[in-house]
Amino acid sequence: MTSARHYSVPGVPGLAVGVLDIGLACCSLEIAAAVTAGLLVPAEAGAADSSILLVSGTVTDAMAPAVMAAWNDLSEPRRGVSFGACANTGGPYWDAPTVLKGIDQVIPIEVYVPGCPPRPEALIAGLTELAAR
Amino acid sequence: MTERVIPPNAHSLIGLNPDACTSCMICVRECPVWCIDLASHTHEVTEEGARRPKVVHVLDEFTIDFGACMFCGICVDVCPFDALAWSSGLDQSAHSAGGLVHGIDQLVKWFPASGS
Repeated sequence: MTSARHYSVPGVPGLAVGVLDIGLACCSLEIAAAVTAGLLVPAEAGAADSSILLVSGTVTDAMAPAVMAAWNDLSEPRRGVSFGACANTGGPYWDAPTVLKGIDQVIPIEVYVPGCPPRPEALIAGLTELAAR
Repeated sequence: MTERVIPPNAHSLIGLNPDACTSCMICVRECPVWCIDLASHTHEVTEEGARRPKVVHVLDEFTIDFGACMFCGICVDVCPFDALAWSSGLDQSAHSAGGLVHGIDQLVKWFPASGS
Protein backbone atom coordinates (compact mmCIF):
# COMPACT_ATOMS: atom_id res chain seq x y z
CA MET A 1 0.00 0.00 0.00
CA THR A 2 1.30 3.45 -0.88
CA SER A 3 1.98 5.94 1.90
CA ALA A 4 -0.06 9.08 2.44
CA ARG A 5 0.69 12.20 0.42
CA HIS A 6 0.34 15.64 1.96
CA TYR A 7 -1.45 18.51 0.30
CA SER A 8 -2.60 22.01 1.05
CA VAL A 9 -5.80 23.15 -0.58
CA PRO A 10 -5.56 26.74 -1.97
CA GLY A 11 -9.36 26.94 -2.16
CA VAL A 12 -9.69 26.17 1.54
CA PRO A 13 -7.24 28.32 3.53
CA GLY A 14 -5.86 26.61 6.57
CA LEU A 15 -6.71 23.12 5.43
CA ALA A 16 -3.79 20.78 5.17
CA VAL A 17 -4.58 17.20 4.43
CA GLY A 18 -2.66 14.00 4.47
CA VAL A 19 -4.35 11.96 1.82
CA LEU A 20 -4.01 8.27 1.36
CA ASP A 21 -5.50 8.05 -2.06
CA ILE A 22 -6.79 4.61 -2.85
CA GLY A 23 -7.49 4.80 -6.54
CA LEU A 24 -9.19 1.58 -7.52
CA ALA A 25 -10.62 2.77 -10.82
CA CYS A 26 -10.95 5.70 -13.20
CA CYS A 27 -11.95 8.24 -10.50
CA SER A 28 -8.34 8.40 -9.31
CA LEU A 29 -7.46 10.26 -12.53
CA GLU A 30 -9.54 13.18 -11.28
CA ILE A 31 -7.43 13.40 -8.15
CA ALA A 32 -4.34 13.56 -10.35
CA ALA A 33 -6.18 16.22 -12.38
CA ALA A 34 -6.81 18.21 -9.20
CA VAL A 35 -3.09 18.19 -8.47
CA THR A 36 -2.20 19.11 -12.07
CA ALA A 37 -4.70 21.98 -12.03
CA GLY A 38 -3.24 23.30 -8.79
CA LEU A 39 -6.40 22.65 -6.78
CA LEU A 40 -4.35 20.41 -4.50
CA VAL A 41 -0.79 21.54 -3.80
CA PRO A 42 1.77 19.07 -2.50
CA ALA A 43 2.87 20.17 0.97
CA GLU A 44 5.33 19.21 3.67
CA ALA A 45 4.40 16.23 5.78
CA GLY A 46 3.37 17.00 9.33
CA ALA A 47 1.26 20.05 8.60
CA ALA A 48 -1.92 18.03 8.33
CA ASP A 49 -4.59 18.30 11.03
CA SER A 50 -5.97 14.88 10.23
CA SER A 51 -5.40 11.97 7.94
CA ILE A 52 -7.92 11.49 5.21
CA LEU A 53 -8.58 8.21 3.49
CA LEU A 54 -9.86 9.14 0.07
CA VAL A 55 -11.47 6.11 -1.49
CA SER A 56 -12.23 6.38 -5.17
CA GLY A 57 -13.28 3.63 -7.48
CA THR A 58 -15.00 0.31 -7.43
CA VAL A 59 -14.40 -1.66 -4.24
CA THR A 60 -14.68 -5.35 -4.91
CA ASP A 61 -15.07 -7.93 -2.16
CA ALA A 62 -11.50 -9.00 -2.92
CA MET A 63 -10.16 -5.44 -2.42
CA ALA A 64 -12.26 -4.61 0.67
CA PRO A 65 -9.80 -6.16 3.19
CA ALA A 66 -6.98 -4.04 1.68
CA VAL A 67 -9.05 -0.87 2.06
CA MET A 68 -9.91 -1.83 5.65
CA ALA A 69 -6.23 -2.49 6.37
CA ALA A 70 -5.31 0.93 4.97
CA TRP A 71 -7.94 2.50 7.23
CA ASN A 72 -6.70 0.65 10.29
CA ASP A 73 -3.09 1.67 9.55
CA LEU A 74 -4.03 5.34 9.30
CA SER A 75 -3.03 7.43 12.31
CA GLU A 76 -5.69 9.20 14.37
CA PRO A 77 -7.43 11.54 13.86
CA ARG A 78 -8.57 9.99 10.60
CA ARG A 79 -11.49 10.74 8.37
CA GLY A 80 -13.00 8.89 5.45
CA VAL A 81 -14.06 10.46 2.17
CA SER A 82 -15.88 8.56 -0.53
CA PHE A 83 -15.21 9.92 -4.03
CA GLY A 84 -17.40 8.93 -6.96
CA ALA A 85 -20.42 6.75 -7.64
CA CYS A 86 -18.65 3.40 -7.14
CA ALA A 87 -17.33 4.27 -3.70
CA ASN A 88 -20.63 5.94 -2.75
CA THR A 89 -23.09 3.22 -3.65
CA GLY A 90 -21.40 0.74 -5.95
CA GLY A 91 -22.30 2.97 -8.89
CA PRO A 92 -22.99 1.15 -12.15
CA TYR A 93 -21.91 -2.10 -10.48
CA TRP A 94 -24.30 -1.98 -7.53
CA ASP A 95 -26.01 -5.20 -8.62
CA ALA A 96 -22.76 -7.10 -9.14
CA PRO A 97 -22.39 -9.85 -6.50
CA THR A 98 -18.67 -9.15 -6.03
CA VAL A 99 -18.86 -5.36 -5.54
CA LEU A 100 -19.44 -3.49 -2.27
CA LYS A 101 -22.58 -1.38 -2.27
CA GLY A 102 -20.58 1.57 -1.07
CA ILE A 103 -17.34 1.74 0.87
CA ASP A 104 -19.33 2.85 3.95
CA GLN A 105 -20.20 -0.81 4.41
CA VAL A 106 -16.68 -1.37 5.76
CA ILE A 107 -15.24 1.98 6.90
CA PRO A 108 -16.91 5.12 8.33
CA ILE A 109 -17.36 7.86 5.73
CA GLU A 110 -17.94 11.53 6.57
CA VAL A 111 -18.32 13.03 3.12
CA TYR A 112 -19.70 11.51 -0.07
CA VAL A 113 -18.72 13.22 -3.32
CA PRO A 114 -21.15 12.48 -6.17
CA GLY A 115 -20.11 12.07 -9.79
CA CYS A 116 -18.91 9.47 -12.27
CA PRO A 117 -16.26 10.68 -12.03
CA PRO A 118 -16.67 13.85 -9.97
CA ARG A 119 -14.85 16.93 -11.26
CA PRO A 120 -11.64 17.96 -9.48
CA GLU A 121 -13.67 20.96 -8.26
CA ALA A 122 -16.13 18.54 -6.67
CA LEU A 123 -13.25 17.03 -4.71
CA ILE A 124 -12.35 20.48 -3.39
CA ALA A 125 -16.02 21.12 -2.55
CA GLY A 126 -16.07 17.81 -0.67
CA LEU A 127 -12.89 18.65 1.27
CA THR A 128 -14.37 22.09 2.07
CA GLU A 129 -17.44 20.30 3.38
CA LEU A 130 -15.21 18.04 5.47
CA ALA A 131 -13.24 20.99 6.88
CA ALA A 132 -16.48 22.77 7.80
CA ARG A 133 -17.72 19.84 9.83
CA MET B 1 -2.22 27.96 -11.08
CA THR B 2 -4.32 27.87 -14.22
CA GLU B 3 -7.79 29.33 -14.01
CA ARG B 4 -10.22 26.49 -14.64
CA VAL B 5 -13.65 27.26 -16.01
CA ILE B 6 -16.38 24.64 -16.00
CA PRO B 7 -18.06 24.84 -19.42
CA PRO B 8 -21.76 25.78 -19.27
CA ASN B 9 -22.74 22.61 -21.14
CA ALA B 10 -20.91 20.40 -18.64
CA HIS B 11 -22.80 17.46 -17.15
CA SER B 12 -23.29 18.70 -13.62
CA LEU B 13 -26.84 18.74 -12.26
CA ILE B 14 -30.12 17.33 -13.53
CA GLY B 15 -33.31 19.31 -12.97
CA LEU B 16 -36.91 18.20 -13.29
CA ASN B 17 -39.99 20.03 -14.46
CA PRO B 18 -42.78 18.00 -12.81
CA ASP B 19 -45.47 19.80 -14.83
CA ALA B 20 -43.95 18.50 -18.08
CA CYS B 21 -43.41 14.97 -16.73
CA THR B 22 -46.08 12.48 -17.79
CA SER B 23 -44.74 9.62 -15.63
CA CYS B 24 -44.04 7.66 -18.82
CA MET B 25 -41.14 5.87 -17.08
CA ILE B 26 -38.86 6.05 -20.13
CA CYS B 27 -36.05 7.73 -18.13
CA VAL B 28 -36.41 5.20 -15.34
CA ARG B 29 -36.11 2.27 -17.73
CA GLU B 30 -33.28 3.75 -19.81
CA CYS B 31 -31.10 4.75 -16.84
CA PRO B 32 -28.05 2.43 -16.97
CA VAL B 33 -27.69 2.43 -13.19
CA TRP B 34 -31.39 2.50 -12.28
CA CYS B 35 -30.88 5.53 -10.06
CA ILE B 36 -34.25 7.14 -10.86
CA ASP B 37 -37.28 6.30 -8.77
CA LEU B 38 -40.72 7.37 -9.95
CA ALA B 39 -44.13 6.90 -8.39
CA SER B 40 -47.41 8.01 -9.93
CA HIS B 41 -51.11 7.30 -9.82
CA THR B 42 -53.82 7.64 -12.44
CA HIS B 43 -57.13 9.34 -12.30
CA GLU B 44 -59.94 9.63 -14.82
CA VAL B 45 -60.94 12.93 -16.34
CA THR B 46 -64.26 13.09 -18.14
CA GLU B 47 -64.36 15.85 -20.70
CA GLU B 48 -67.64 17.10 -22.05
CA GLY B 49 -68.58 15.39 -25.31
CA ALA B 50 -65.84 12.77 -24.95
CA ARG B 51 -66.77 9.20 -25.75
CA ARG B 52 -64.88 7.82 -22.75
CA PRO B 53 -63.03 9.21 -19.75
CA LYS B 54 -59.39 10.12 -20.23
CA VAL B 55 -56.83 8.48 -17.93
CA VAL B 56 -54.30 11.01 -16.63
CA HIS B 57 -51.09 10.12 -14.82
CA VAL B 58 -50.25 12.21 -11.79
CA LEU B 59 -46.63 12.33 -10.63
CA ASP B 60 -46.29 11.58 -6.91
CA GLU B 61 -42.59 11.03 -6.38
CA PHE B 62 -39.49 11.45 -8.51
CA THR B 63 -36.08 10.89 -6.96
CA ILE B 64 -32.61 10.69 -8.45
CA ASP B 65 -29.90 8.98 -6.43
CA PHE B 66 -26.89 11.10 -7.29
CA GLY B 67 -24.77 8.69 -5.28
CA ALA B 68 -25.20 6.18 -8.08
CA CYS B 69 -25.87 8.57 -10.99
CA MET B 70 -23.22 8.49 -13.73
CA PHE B 71 -24.26 11.91 -15.06
CA CYS B 72 -24.43 10.30 -18.51
CA GLY B 73 -27.51 12.31 -19.49
CA ILE B 74 -29.39 9.45 -21.13
CA CYS B 75 -32.48 10.38 -19.09
CA VAL B 76 -32.23 13.97 -20.34
CA ASP B 77 -31.85 12.77 -23.93
CA VAL B 78 -34.69 10.24 -23.93
CA CYS B 79 -37.32 12.37 -22.18
CA PRO B 80 -39.95 13.04 -24.88
CA PHE B 81 -41.36 15.99 -22.96
CA ASP B 82 -38.13 17.82 -22.01
CA ALA B 83 -39.03 17.38 -18.37
CA LEU B 84 -35.40 16.70 -17.47
CA ALA B 85 -32.62 19.17 -18.22
CA TRP B 86 -29.01 19.91 -17.37
CA SER B 87 -28.36 22.71 -14.98
CA SER B 88 -25.14 24.52 -14.21
CA GLY B 89 -23.51 24.21 -10.83
CA LEU B 90 -21.69 21.52 -8.96
CA ASP B 91 -23.55 18.70 -7.28
CA GLN B 92 -22.94 19.06 -3.57
CA SER B 93 -21.30 16.48 -1.39
CA ALA B 94 -23.34 14.93 1.39
CA HIS B 95 -22.64 13.56 4.84
CA SER B 96 -24.52 10.35 4.17
CA ALA B 97 -25.13 8.25 1.09
CA GLY B 98 -28.84 8.96 1.51
CA GLY B 99 -28.11 12.68 1.43
CA LEU B 100 -27.33 12.36 -2.27
CA VAL B 101 -30.88 11.21 -3.04
CA HIS B 102 -32.86 14.22 -4.22
CA GLY B 103 -36.61 14.41 -4.72
CA ILE B 104 -38.96 16.69 -6.63
CA ASP B 105 -38.51 19.64 -4.22
CA GLN B 106 -34.79 19.86 -4.95
CA LEU B 107 -34.91 18.80 -8.60
CA VAL B 108 -37.39 21.58 -9.42
CA LYS B 109 -34.87 24.15 -8.19
CA TRP B 110 -32.26 22.71 -10.55
CA PHE B 111 -34.52 22.87 -13.60
CA PRO B 112 -33.23 25.77 -15.69
CA ALA B 113 -35.61 28.69 -16.20
CA SER B 114 -37.40 28.64 -19.56
CA GLY B 115 -35.45 30.04 -22.47
CA SER B 116 -32.10 28.85 -21.22
